[in-house]
Amino acid sequence: MTRCVTRSAARVAALVALGTATGGCMDFGGYDEPVELSTHVDDWRDQIIYQLLVDRFADGDLGNDFMVDRTAPGRWHGGDWAGVESQLDYLSGLGVTALWISPLYKNVETDAGVDGYHGYWPQDFTAPNEHFGDVVALRRMVDAAHQHGILVIIDVVTNHVGQLFYYDINLNGQPDEQVRGSGDKSPVVHINEYDPDFDPRGIQAYTSLGEAGPAPVIFNWDPATNHMPPWPEALQHAAAYNKRGRTLDFEDPDQLLHGDFPGGLKDLDTTRCDVKDAMVDAYARWVELSDVDGFRIDTIKHVEREFWRYFAQKVRQRLAAQGKERFFMFGEAFDGRPELVGAYTQTDLPSADQLERENTCVHDGLALTGDQLDGVFHFPQYYTVVRDVLQQGLSTDRIEGLWSARSLYYGATPTQLGTGIAPVKTLVNFLDNHDVPRFLFQSDRPALHQALTFLLTEDGIPCVYYGTEQELAGGNDPANREDLWETGYDTSKPTYQVIARLAALRKAYLALRRGDQTVTWASNRTGDEPDAGIFAFERGGGDAGGAYALVVLNTNRDHPSSPVFGGVPMHVGAPGGTTLVDVWSTAQPQPAYTVAADGALAITVPPLGQAILVPAADVVPGI
Amino acid sequence: MAHGGDTRAPLAAVALVVALSATARLASAQPEPAAPPPATEPGSGRAAGAAPEPTAPPAKAGDEAGDPTPPDAAAPAKGPEAKAADAKAAPAADARAAEAAPAEAAPGKTFWDGFAFGSYGRVIAASDAAGRPGRDADVVAHGSRLDLDNYAELELRREDHWESLGATSRLVATLALGNSIFHYSGDFDAAFAIRNLYLEETGLGLEDFSIWAGSRMVRGDDIYLCDFWPLDNVNSLGGGVRYAAPTHTTASLHMGMAQPQNPFYRQAASRPAPLNQFGAATVDVLDRQRWLGALRLEQLVLLGPEPDKAAAPPPRAGLKFVVYGEAQHVPAAQRETATPDVFEDVPADRGFVVGAQIGAFTGERDTHLNLFVRYATGLAAYGEFAAPEALALDRTAAGAHEVVVAMGGNWEISVFALTLGAYFRSFRNASEPLDFGDVDEGIFILRPHVFFAEWAGVAVEGSYQALARGILTPDRGPDDAPHPLTAHVGRIGVMPFVQPAGPGAFSRPRIHLEYAATFRDKSARLLYPTDDPFSLRSVDHFFGLGAEWWFGSTSYGGT
Repeated sequence: MTRCVTRSAARVAALVALGTATGGCMDFGGYDEPVELSTHVDDWRDQIIYQLLVDRFADGDLGNDFMVDRTAPGRWHGGDWAGVESQLDYLSGLGVTALWISPLYKNVETDAGVDGYHGYWPQDFTAPNEHFGDVVALRRMVDAAHQHGILVIIDVVTNHVGQLFYYDINLNGQPDEQVRGSGDKSPVVHINEYDPDFDPRGIQAYTSLGEAGPAPVIFNWDPATNHMPPWPEALQHAAAYNKRGRTLDFEDPDQLLHGDFPGGLKDLDTTRCDVKDAMVDAYARWVELSDVDGFRIDTIKHVEREFWRYFAQKVRQRLAAQGKERFFMFGEAFDGRPELVGAYTQTDLPSADQLERENTCVHDGLALTGDQLDGVFHFPQYYTVVRDVLQQGLSTDRIEGLWSARSLYYGATPTQLGTGIAPVKTLVNFLDNHDVPRFLFQSDRPALHQALTFLLTEDGIPCVYYGTEQELAGGNDPANREDLWETGYDTSKPTYQVIARLAALRKAYLALRRGDQTVTWASNRTGDEPDAGIFAFERGGGDAGGAYALVVLNTNRDHPSSPVFGGVPMHVGAPGGTTLVDVWSTAQPQPAYTVAADGALAITVPPLGQAILVPAADVVPGI
Repeated sequence: MAHGGDTRAPLAAVALVVALSATARLASAQPEPAAPPPATEPGSGRAAGAAPEPTAPPAKAGDEAGDPTPPDAAAPAKGPEAKAADAKAAPAADARAAEAAPAEAAPGKTFWDGFAFGSYGRVIAASDAAGRPGRDADVVAHGSRLDLDNYAELELRREDHWESLGATSRLVATLALGNSIFHYSGDFDAAFAIRNLYLEETGLGLEDFSIWAGSRMVRGDDIYLCDFWPLDNVNSLGGGVRYAAPTHTTASLHMGMAQPQNPFYRQAASRPAPLNQFGAATVDVLDRQRWLGALRLEQLVLLGPEPDKAAAPPPRAGLKFVVYGEAQHVPAAQRETATPDVFEDVPADRGFVVGAQIGAFTGERDTHLNLFVRYATGLAAYGEFAAPEALALDRTAAGAHEVVVAMGGNWEISVFALTLGAYFRSFRNASEPLDFGDVDEGIFILRPHVFFAEWAGVAVEGSYQALARGILTPDRGPDDAPHPLTAHVGRIGVMPFVQPAGPGAFSRPRIHLEYAATFRDKSARLLYPTDDPFSLRSVDHFFGLGAEWWFGSTSYGGT
């Protein structure tokens, strides 16, 4: 009896001891082990990016549904990385090959009745946003995406932190909403100490006796809303910020670069070495933790070029040394001017003095070059083409005008250790995104399908905003950030099918991905003229070798149009006698057109219609 | 409370019958409300089953010297031997109870009507080395009880024996007091809870059958050192039946309901007052209860010859086997979304528990060993008053589960005693990805005692505990890469004590001094928020002066 009891006790004791000592059966699926970085991409032009807001895409883990209120667009809705992982088949079916996910770090929870669900209010650049999951969930999602042949791009903010401090203008040690002036002899002025108007001298303290010098910066301490001093630690000091208040005039370079982003987002002094290093460390670390494949960088025009030189080059060097190559960094300059947007992709070597100063930040002996980013979000095209032509029906010669200037404004040389492709060839094109109204808010389905055809056949990397495939039609932020789960992820939706088919065509025809691009017809006519609304361009040669494709769009809503005017037809680059088949057409057999001996091609396209022509010999059946 | 030498045999007999459930009664409650008053002395065992003998002379304290209390006096002893033993034990067993509850013989009746009082309690004045209040340093759910908070239960009951029926009625009301000491806080207030409020009838129609209704703690055996009931611990409003066969077989069935105050169960909404009256009315839009049913089967196997009832029976060793099952259900309902008057469905939920216990006891002093295994799933995995969190995608607790393997025991010989407690617990919430709520934890505690005198001794306690959560540690760079969080805590403590009831690990009342040193590793410190002293200290010291007692409480006999 005693021996039996003793033996049993010993066994249970062993079990208990083993369980406690080993941490039991906690199985992280290997995602708690260090990540071995690798390169998952060959040519970024082959990719189709799908931009999603994690909070709105899919809720795959109810365990992190904290503070969720789905009745208000400006609140947390519960989406997470596990949700993204759960819908990878849906994305694969759509033809997506890269995800751009909203920022992943810890944000201010809520501010002035709006939540930080979008991710652009950073507080801790080193910690995951617990609403979306933990590092394991992130790694699982990225790994699963890679297994689906899908790359992952994370969203990067370097310009600012959330509303983490206030300027103590009246020196009373608390944040105030002040009112100055009587309205009689002096104007009434409202001053918000969180978001005061720009002052080039820096925000000044002010008492009844007048100005009292620079206003102290006081960091918030409210754990419940995560208004806490930021991380990394280098950002916890007032000196790390420009402290000049809210940007009012975006055309003023001083305000553009040094002003707080509207909403009280505090502007970092990105010329400081410690700030540069903090950003490189924080974001390179996320890659090292998760093996993601690229950065989409927020608000680049609000940050000095010297920062981009340092940041981009040091990130590339650090990752390449670990086996992560062709890492893609593209930036967002919310601006319609190509000369401004493109400037961030140019090889931009500053003066010798400036470069010497910038190199004082370099610790690894690898001096800076003029390299900046690998690409940019193609905002000029959004205004000139998507809005003006594809939505409003203005003349198509605007497209030609925009494209013809590309080589002038965008980098023509691949960055060192970058994607291996010149930035001018990797502009990220889009129809809409989280900062502008959805395409359908101001247009209709036929126009959307035409715009998608344009997007997925033009030079560059197409980027589809989540929900486009489900024909969501929200207006400005946050109405354009709908919950995708409300659609049921319906793969039979017409626009889902259109995107899937266009993606398949882009994948099947090398010319549509890598071919050089030449405009073969553009028109300044929008009325009854026979070519009103026609825009045609061909892709081929260059990195596509002998592959060829011709895309013809009719943006006119009223009548069929043809690329002919005044008896002059469109001439194309395909040899005379080539039979071109419209692989977009759903007719059987698909319409075919023969190039005349002089290169002329006659084709008529219905209103808001399009044709994608490839040589008959190249046709891939079944798409 | 006092045990004279001539009462040793009957007391031991009582202990034989109820042996292993003793540890259950010996434990107090876990963090907040729980805190079962252990009743080690036969008096409490008798109190559980019969009215105190009014004429019994109070035993002298000196009489009980050298007569360590058998472990399980509190268990309701329903077998014939137990009754016999009870009858004999009663007079000397709980003299204090008899004094406290002067029962009266009703005119013309031979049974006793009377009130009785019982209590469990612990109070401690404690400090750390910096003069801050002593504080629970455990990282596991059921850690060492060295630093448990103050807690007490006051049990008042009325017992009536209906001689013509051979039945007994028992009304039990137990008032529990949480950690609110006016002389410490200056706050003239207290946290009270009703832990028991039920009526039990025994012997109505069937001699060994009892039925009860009301609100009741229903618990099996515990691990005293961990303050933990690893197999069965049900607190609800309901009722139950119990049948104790002469073959030492006990079957009990308990049905009950509970509605923890949580939006999972209840949601109130404001509506205009009806009939065009002023103001607003509150409507319980969601108002559902958790229903549960529990079945417990217990078999005692007493070893050795049947005692001669005419003579003082010797202590008997034995084995105890328990199987336990529980089912829980919450019905489907609706609740209002954040948009008024827009509703969403809330699915039904359910959970199950299965478990078993094997125990062995020598019948001498409090020597015993209990081994437990328990598996809970779904709703039941979350604990009795916890609303499920981190639900599955269908918004139910499906997939949640908990496994517990545990051990508790005590061995006493001469002036020595060795008490042990250990468990391993693995819990996964219903959300499939690992997260902070997913836990693996365990503890191993040994507490040797030496009794210097009949009334004094010293205990030394050593423990090791570990806790793993389903998260990785924060990442602050390549030199501090994230890794699974497994916290380790070690503790050693020493506890000199005085206890007039004689030597024994479970002799009470007891006044004790305490010193404990707690050692926590970096991961354990990470469990606490920034600037919490426990997040900063690798070593913590705990100094305390405390008291613990139990007597005459019925709470832990099971149904």
